Parts: sequence; structure tokens; C-alpha cells
Amino acid sequence: MDTLPREAHSCVMELCQERRVVERPLVSVVDDDESVRESLPDLLGEFGFAARTFSSAEEFLASDCVDQTRCLILDIAMPGMSGPQLQQELKLSRREIPIVFITASREEAVRPQVLEQGAIECLFKPFSDTALLDAVNSALHSK
Amino acid sequence: MEVQSELASGEVRHLQRCINDLISLLGLPAIWRDGDPSQVLHTLLDALIRMLRLDLASVSLTDEVGEAPVEIVRLAEQRTPMPSAHEICEALSECSKSDSRRWPPLLRNLMGEGDVSFVPLPLGLQGELGVIVAAARRTDFPRQTEALLLSVAANQASIALQGARLLSHQKRVASQLDQRVVQQTAELATANEELKLELAERRLLEEKLGQEEGELKRSEARKAAIVDSALDCILTIDHEGCITEFNPAAEHTFGYRRDEVLGMPLANVIIPLSLREKHREGFAHYLATEEARVLGKRIETTAVRADGSEFPVELAISRIKLEGPPAFTGYLRDITERKRAEQELRRSEAFLAEAQHLSRIGSFSWRVATDEIICSEQLYRIFQIDRDAQMTFELIGSRIHPEDLSKFQEHLERSRRDRSDVELEFRLQMPDGAIKYVHVAAHFRRDHGRLEYIGAVQDVTERRAFEEALSKARSELSQVARVTSLGVLTASIAHEVNQPLSGIVTNASTCLRMLGADPPNVDGARETARRTIRDGNRASEVISRLRSLYGKKDPTIESVDLNEAALEVLALSLSELQRNRIIVLQELADGLPRVAGDRVQLQQVVLNLLRNASDAMSTIDDRSRDLLIRTEPDRDDRVRLSVTDVGIGFEPQAADKLFGAFYTTKTEGMGIGLSVSRSIIERHHGRLWATPNKGPGVTFSFSIPCRPQGLTSDDTPATHTPSVSDAA
Repeated sequence: MDTLPREAHSCVMELCQERRVVERPLVSVVDDDESVRESLPDLLGEFGFAARTFSSAEEFLASDCVDQTRCLILDIAMPGMSGPQLQQELKLSRREIPIVFITASREEAVRPQVLEQGAIECLFKPFSDTALLDAVNSALHSK
Repeated sequence: MEVQSELASGEVRHLQRCINDLISLLGLPAIWRDGDPSQVLHTLLDALIRMLRLDLASVSLTDEVGEAPVEIVRLAEQRTPMPSAHEICEALSECSKSDSRRWPPLLRNLMGEGDVSFVPLPLGLQGELGVIVAAARRTDFPRQTEALLLSVAANQASIALQGARLLSHQKRVASQLDQRVVQQTAELATANEELKLELAERRLLEEKLGQEEGELKRSEARKAAIVDSALDCILTIDHEGCITEFNPAAEHTFGYRRDEVLGMPLANVIIPLSLREKHREGFAHYLATEEARVLGKRIETTAVRADGSEFPVELAISRIKLEGPPAFTGYLRDITERKRAEQELRRSEAFLAEAQHLSRIGSFSWRVATDEIICSEQLYRIFQIDRDAQMTFELIGSRIHPEDLSKFQEHLERSRRDRSDVELEFRLQMPDGAIKYVHVAAHFRRDHGRLEYIGAVQDVTERRAFEEALSKARSELSQVARVTSLGVLTASIAHEVNQPLSGIVTNASTCLRMLGADPPNVDGARETARRTIRDGNRASEVISRLRSLYGKKDPTIESVDLNEAALEVLALSLSELQRNRIIVLQELADGLPRVAGDRVQLQQVVLNLLRNASDAMSTIDDRSRDLLIRTEPDRDDRVRLSVTDVGIGFEPQAADKLFGAFYTTKTEGMGIGLSVSRSIIERHHGRLWATPNKGPGVTFSFSIPCRPQGLTSDDTPATHTPSVSDAA
């Protein structure tokens, strides 16, 4: 994975140029794990996205980023409100943000559940940068 | 005429004299009233000599009459010469020899001297009494009147003599009679005395007899009463072996009526067929030789009832001491019950001995005052002391492990002093060096004023071994539990490891991208590389933490900060708790004293408590699933950790059941977790218990000492066993 596929790269570049005047799409990250919150924004930045991080679902809901978020990268197991609970919460409030779930758990059963509830993808930690990019792109183009 | 008248007047005078004499003679018997013949004859002869002017008068009697002499001769005075009395007597005797009837009335010149007229007068009708001789020299003698007087005198004398004779005879007879009477009286008196004596003797004898008879009667009555009411069968047999007595007890025991069996041979009635021949032989042998084989002894044999059933009896036979042919009494007792009781006792003793042997429990009694110790066989076996030896404390002391001897003696002295019940455990060292563990429990009591201990000594060596094995098994089980927990917590572990891994991968990817950019973002790359290293270390920490928790390691005592240990466990299980939507609240006391213990084992317990709390709340949806973990200093220099849930809890009555759950054989879940937890806490000299909350749920707590007390290792099980319910 030393280099991105040529087409993807050009696409990214294109997007970057396109959004130069416009704001880059906001990708919000909700995870109680600090490592994730530290590492993901840099990678997302490399991909050309704006990124905000939140340590809990409650913190995200209380922020002013909910409406601006184009894609939500959401941890499943968290103290307090869990990822799926936040998914339900957003659904109920009709704020349908495309969600990419990430989880450290190896429980396979959780993936179809969240996909069925409308999630774009469910990635098991640790995941590759391309898998993340594909998922985020899918989310951004889901509408 | 004058002559005539003179003659006449002379004749008258003579007649008058004659009449006077006659009257005198006739009056003589009045003088003779006493009838002494001697007096009769003397007075008569004197009277005749005087009246008839005789020269001689004599009397000669044929028989002695009374005491009178046989012959008396009286001579008139101055009549000389006269033949001597002797001559006269001889002459008279000549006369008397002849027939007196033919006697001449007159004997002339009888002695050749002058003319002396002798007139013999027979006494008695036939002269049978004797004769009186009257003699006078006168020629006219005897004149008619004189002859008359003489015959009257002779008659009078005869009558008197007859009377005297009769009287004498009578007297003699009377005397003889008297004598005889006296003699007989004396004899009678003697006889009487003898009779009296005899009577007395007889009375005594009779009394004695009476007494004896009474006694005999009483004895008989008593015997009859005894025989009748005796509980033992009493049978008597005669010399032929036939039954002569059969008491009610025998009737009852053998099922025969007395009248049925009287006279029957004993052998046919009560002796079993198999023994009859032997009985007959023995009986015959005795009769022949008087050599008793069974007499006077108690023997146990078999008897048979009327219905043919045989039963054991105790038999004593004695010979009845009587004259005549031998007879025997048999005392017989049905000992079926006794046999059974004996057998039961034997069996019970055997059971006890076997039980003592199997359970390795020996019993003893100890008299405090005398130090007399009595031991059961098993106790000798436990101590490996020869059974013949007298048990002493010295001997016991020689078997006690040197390290435990002072403890033993301390207890012994305390028992002697306090007289309280004793319970202690110590080691024995056998001569071959083998070590035995014994448990002693003794109870103090007073037995008839004597003070003694009654106790039991149990060889718990095997139990020790078993307990050690159990402890080892528990230890292994706790290892299994760890592994089980590991399986259950896989997701959590994966989560813990995957988090930093995720960071590593993301950072590395970012780093590459930054370096591949044109121009390369070197600063950004350096930052991501740094984060990669940090996450790598983090992952390594997680792994080592897991290894310390789940790796098999011998328990070690260290100073443990219970708060820190609990937080580590929380960190490990947080994801699982979160997944179960458990809200963990912490109340960890500041400045909590450190405890002495095995960190990993204590964390194992905390993990179990957290999991139990989580499980108890898995079905709770009407309230938040709050879990409170709290640490606090406890009394007696201890630290307490408790985990409170708001789960389904348990009914207060179910506390015992919960306690029982500690011993569940389930290989997973709560039971084994609590069981293992409890054993861990006990090894830390602590206790673990559960109490229902005032609200919903349960609080599980353990409390362990802060000061190191030495961990009760697996080969020394805890002696204090706190129960869950005692704190509830």
C-alpha cells in the first residue's frame, strides 16, 4: 500500500481542487479510545477531509457539528451511549448522517445488525487506510 | 349241917373266885387290843400262874407269831426244885411231837421228879398254833374249874394269837404292801421323772420337729412359690429321667401343660433329637459312676419346644439331696434374647471397632486425678503402641511430634486446670519417622464424683492429604476459571488489543502518506511514527497485563494496593461491562492501607464479583444497571472491598441456597466463581459474604487483613471458615 491507485489519487486531487473554494466535507469521529481519536484525523486530513473527534456519543450530540457532519465514523462499544444507540437517536431525530462503524470487537454478528439499520460500512479495528477511504467515499456519495 | 354249909360256903367262894378269874380272863383281850402276841402270851401265862397257883406255865408255838418268841416258860416263884426250862421244853417238845389229840390231859412225872401235873392245852382248834402247858405240883390239879379256866384261857389265847397272827400277817402284808407301794411309788416316781424328762425331751423334740416341720412347710411353700413364679423353667426328674415337676415358666416356654409331661421321660420332651442320645449316655454314666459332667455347672445347650422349634437355653442341673434314688432339678432359661443381644452386642462392638478402624477414630477416657487413661484398640493402633502397654501421658508424649509437644502439654495443663472441653490438632511422629495428623476432641464430665475426660482421637492424616488434594484441585480449578474467564473475555481482550493496534495501523498508514507526499510532510510523518510507537507500547502493556492475570503463576505474597488492583480489573473488563450496558460507579477510599496478598488472585476475585454483578443485571431494563465498586478500611486492621449491583438479587431466605451455590459442581458460571473466590479469600485469612441490599440487588464483600499473616498455602488449609450467612 505504498501508493494509492492512480485513479483514486487523481480523484482525490480533483476533489481537493474542486473544494478549494468550498469547505472540505466534515467527517466526525466518535470513539472513547484516544489512539483512534489521535490517529484518524491526520489520515482523514491526508485524504482531504475535515475531521472532528468526540470521546462519546453524548459529546457529539451536544456539539454544533451534527448538522455539518457529512460522514460519521462511529465506535460501537462506548461507556454511556453506544454507537448503535447514537445511530437510533439520529434516525429518530431525522438527522440521517451516513455512518461508518468501527469496532475493536471481533463479534461478527454485530456487522449485519448495524448495516441493516442503514450503516454504510462496519470496519473491524485495525482497518486499512484504503478500506476507510472507500467507506468514507461511499458515505459521501450515498445520497 | 354246918360242914355242909361250910363246904357249901367254900364251894361258893371257889366258884366266885373262879367266876372272877373267868371274868379276868375274858377281860384279857381288852388288854391285848393291840394284839402284840408276846404281850398276850406273857400276860396270859402270868394270869394263869396267879389264878391257878401254877408252878409252871409255858407256851410253845409252832410258828412265829409276830415278834413273839417261839417258846416261853414261866415258873412260879419259890417253887423248888423244878425242872429247868430247858428240860421242860424238851419234855414238851416230846409231847408236841406226838399227836396232840392223843395227848393225855395230865402228864405225871414227866421229868421224873415228884408229881407234877402237866396240862397241855392246844392252841387253835387242832393245836396248829402251838401248845400251852400248865403244871402244878398240886395233886388236885387240875380241878374242874381250873380245867375250864385253862381251856377258856387257851381259847382266848388262840383267838388272840390268831388275831395277832392275822394282824401280824396283815401287818406283814401291809408292810410288804407298803414296801411294795413305796417301792412302786419310788419306781413310779422314777418312772415319772423319767417320763417327765422324756416328755420334756419329747416336747423339745416336738417343738423342734414342729419348727422343722414349720420351716419345712414354709420352705416347701416358699419353694412352691418360687417354683411357680420363677421366671426360669424349673424341672425335676427322678432317677429314671422322668419328669416330676414342671413349673409354669416351663409350661410357657416349652408349650406343654404340666399334667401332659409329668412322668414322661425328659429326653422325649425337651431335648432335641440330635442331643437325646448324648443326654441318655450322660445320665446313665452319672447313675453308674456318679461322675457328673454337667451337675452344678451352667451350660449352654439347645432345647426343643412342643412345636418342634429349637432354641438356645442356659441350663443348670443340681442333684436333689434326698434319701433314696437320685433325683435332679434343672433350671433352664430361654436365652434366645440374650443370645441375640449378645450377638448384637458383639456385632455392635465389631461395628464400633470397625467404624473406629475405618474412620481412624480411637476413643479414650482420662481420670484427671489419677491420670489413668483407658483407650480403645484403635487408639493404640493410631499411636502404634503395643496394646498390652498401660497408656500414660509419657508414652503418648513419646509419639508426639517434637514441634507440637509443647502445644500438647499446654493444652493438657489447661484441661487439668480449667476442666473445659478440649479440641486440638497436633502431629504424631511414629518410630519409623512417619508423620500423622490427629484431631482430638474431649468432653469433660463427672462420673460418680470422679472427674474425667471422655474423648476421641481421629487420625486425620488422610483427611489432610485429601484436603491438600482438594486445595490443589481448587487451585487448579481457579486456574481453569481463569482460562474460562479468558474465553469469556476474548472480545474484551480483542478490544483492548485492537484499540492500540488500530491506532498503530492508522498512524503507520498516515506516516507513509505524509512521506509519499510531494513535498513529503516529514514533521507530520515523525509525529505519526511517534504515536505508532506509543500505541505499540500500549498494546504491549495490555498483553503483559493479560499475561499476569491469566498466566499460571504460584501464589506470592506482596503488598497490594487494592484500589490499583481493582482499577486494573475494571480496565480489563470495562468493555464487557459497557457492552452489557453496566454503569460502573467507583467509591475507592483515599489512602487505603495496602493489604498483604497475592495480587493476581485478589484481582481474580474482583473480576468474579464484577462478572456476577453484571450477570445479575442482564435482565434489568426498568432501571439503570448501576454497579458500585467500593473500597474502605474495615475494623480490626482490615480492608474491605464490596461490589453492589441492582440486579435480581436473592430472597433473604435464599441466603443458604446462595451459600450452597458456592459449592456447586457447575464448571462455569457463578458457582465455581464464588467457590474459587471464597477459597482465595480464606487463604488470605479473610472472609467473603453476601448481603441483600435494602433496595434491589446484592452486595458481595470481602475483607482481608492488612498485616501480612502468611498466606495459607495450598498444603495448609484454612481453619476458620466464615459462612456467607453469618454476615447477612
